[in-house]
Amino acid sequence: MRNIVIFGGSSHPALAEQIASRLNVNLGCAKLSKFSNKETNVEIHESVREKDVYIIQSGCGHVNDNLMELLIMISACKIASAARVTAVIPCFPYARQPDAPYKKNGAPLSRIPRNAFIGYTFDTPGCLDSTPTTPSNEVKDPFGAAFARFEEQGSDMSSSRMSTGYKHWIARSGTLIANIITCAGADHIMTMDLHDPQFQGFFDIPVDNLYGQPLMIKYIKENIPNYQRAVIVSPDAGGAKRATAIADKLRMDFALIHKERRSQNQPNKTDMMLVGEVKDKICILIDDIADTSCTITRAAKILGENGAKKIYAIITHGIMSGDAIQRIAASVIDQVIVSDSVPQDEHLLHCTKLKVFDVAPIFAEAIRRIHNGESVSALFDIMDLI
Amino acid sequence: MSSNSIKIFAGSSHVELTKLVAKQIGIDLSKVVVLKYSNQETSVTIGESVRDEDVFIIQSGCGEINDNLMELLIMINACKTASARRITAVIPCFPYARQDKKDKSRAPISAKLVANMITVAGANHVITIDLHASQIQGFFNVPVDNLFCEPSMLKYIKTHVPEWKNGVIVSPDAGGAKRATSIADHLNLDFALIHKERKKANEVSRMVLVGDVNRKVAIVVDDMADTCGTLALAAKTLKERGATKVYAIVAHGILSGKAIDVINGSDLEKLVVTNSIPHEDKKAICSKLDTIDISPTLAEAIRRTHNGESVSFLFSHAPE
Repeated sequence: MRNIVIFGGSSHPALAEQIASRLNVNLGCAKLSKFSNKETNVEIHESVREKDVYIIQSGCGHVNDNLMELLIMISACKIASAARVTAVIPCFPYARQPDAPYKKNGAPLSRIPRNAFIGYTFDTPGCLDSTPTTPSNEVKDPFGAAFARFEEQGSDMSSSRMSTGYKHWIARSGTLIANIITCAGADHIMTMDLHDPQFQGFFDIPVDNLYGQPLMIKYIKENIPNYQRAVIVSPDAGGAKRATAIADKLRMDFALIHKERRSQNQPNKTDMMLVGEVKDKICILIDDIADTSCTITRAAKILGENGAKKIYAIITHGIMSGDAIQRIAASVIDQVIVSDSVPQDEHLLHCTKLKVFDVAPIFAEAIRRIHNGESVSALFDIMDLI
Repeated sequence: MSSNSIKIFAGSSHVELTKLVAKQIGIDLSKVVVLKYSNQETSVTIGESVRDEDVFIIQSGCGEINDNLMELLIMINACKTASARRITAVIPCFPYARQDKKDKSRAPISAKLVANMITVAGANHVITIDLHASQIQGFFNVPVDNLFCEPSMLKYIKTHVPEWKNGVIVSPDAGGAKRATSIADHLNLDFALIHKERKKANEVSRMVLVGDVNRKVAIVVDDMADTCGTLALAAKTLKERGATKVYAIVAHGILSGKAIDVINGSDLEKLVVTNSIPHEDKKAICSKLDTIDISPTLAEAIRRTHNGESVSFLFSHAPE
């Protein structure tokens, strides 16, 4: 391939290496480091003038450091006269937008507790408490944790300043992230299984959102015996669409787990409801992100209680933060299959239930097509990729 | 209802400074919670209404620079989407200020990138102190007030350096000559310059002193002390040339890496830095470190910006 340069960010060098070797090009030579004051330093060691540049950086590990590195790399290539810079972001950072704060049990907080903002809190990166926190409406969330901490700090705060009941404002960083990537100089974004498909609309530049679905289908066909008789399960209502698409393609049964808040007396009590038949069947949970993996382990528990014979979970982005790995190990899930959009080597060492499928082929093919100006839409539903 | 009052938000990089500034102005800090999710993403919650208010967010470029920068951007953006009238990013130590030019092939101009990001996030105004290169002001499309530590430094020299009248102001490199000569002029002192030859970043190979420091108190003036290799070498050179004592006065004490060990083992009498970057923990293990409180200047700048008064008074005066 001519006039193409592929750079790998420091978040996931292995994936970049795989993509480059599939395209039969050498990875571009760049030195990525940090100065002693922790500023990110990027040195591009080969010419990118009038080249088609692809920068592969996943949103994992130290998300902010990696994002900054990506931005500086984009900017460096851009001011070094690259013809086009494409940011390849397999796992998009800040893709989940918290819409409202939730308590520990999942109930939304309509207003902030009176003494919630005593001053200023900050969890330093080094000392995250064991309570995993995720921005989605998981069981546990930062506000639950933060508020719990505030409540512990005593309710003798006689401050009446919060009594006006201001509904506090949570930053939604989606547009911001989109804008800063654009302002760094990216001409094109490539990502996979965005949590919200609407996220594409935050960008003013083309975004190719690839699907992990063909790879998941391939994995199911090849690795799960008697998959035709298994049931595809969505662990929450939000992922139903994703799961039904796979169930339709494979002509399989479908089940759904959803949270229910019916009891009038206990509005905060939630019940998990299973819709569909799973007794004595193999269940395949489908989701896009496993972060603290609360959702899938909780879903697996319900499936187990309802007599599922075997439980698989297939997930695109296995971020596995906090004590996700321990949680999976302790759960009734038999196997968790994640893609390598996020480095999995470390996770594989600690969890025997984990299996990994490659996303490099799909990204390599997409890069090839974009570089040659071919259609990418063929990748959205190919069944027998490579 | 709308009061267009000052709201000061503290970024997590330097809460102490923000508290000092808020105290000077006489208001409480506004409520904000900054957390990190377990997947290391930053989460910001603004705890009170900022609609139609004049918001100031104080965040220094230090510590985990990228985390702090993202936090600043998210806070700006959150206030923006919450309909703040005006958002001023107060960045005492501007991050990535030294990556300000394309000095090699394909070197990134990260300072420009940071400037763009801050503008894109929605800041209407930027206040900073002693930019490494004042040209960075031109990277922004919004007004930038670049305040100077110089008045505070002059005050410190006059009050805390007993032998200052027998002193000589030294610039540790050619780039800082202008800053140093300005101070020398104000104090009516002599001036000397150290020329350094650099072969690698953060490493100095040879130093040449221009000027006379024999039997004088050398006061080294610079804008940044990072790994402090330059300062230690400068102090050594000055001592060799007969300086009785060597003070160093620096605007931003980043003090990264082995800086503290280097200072402790150096010929420096004292290293004076402003509190644009937190260094209380470092003071505990380094008795040579001293602080100039810069919060009055910031507070006054915020007050004047809010009231639409001129800020240029602060370029030559240090408020109490």
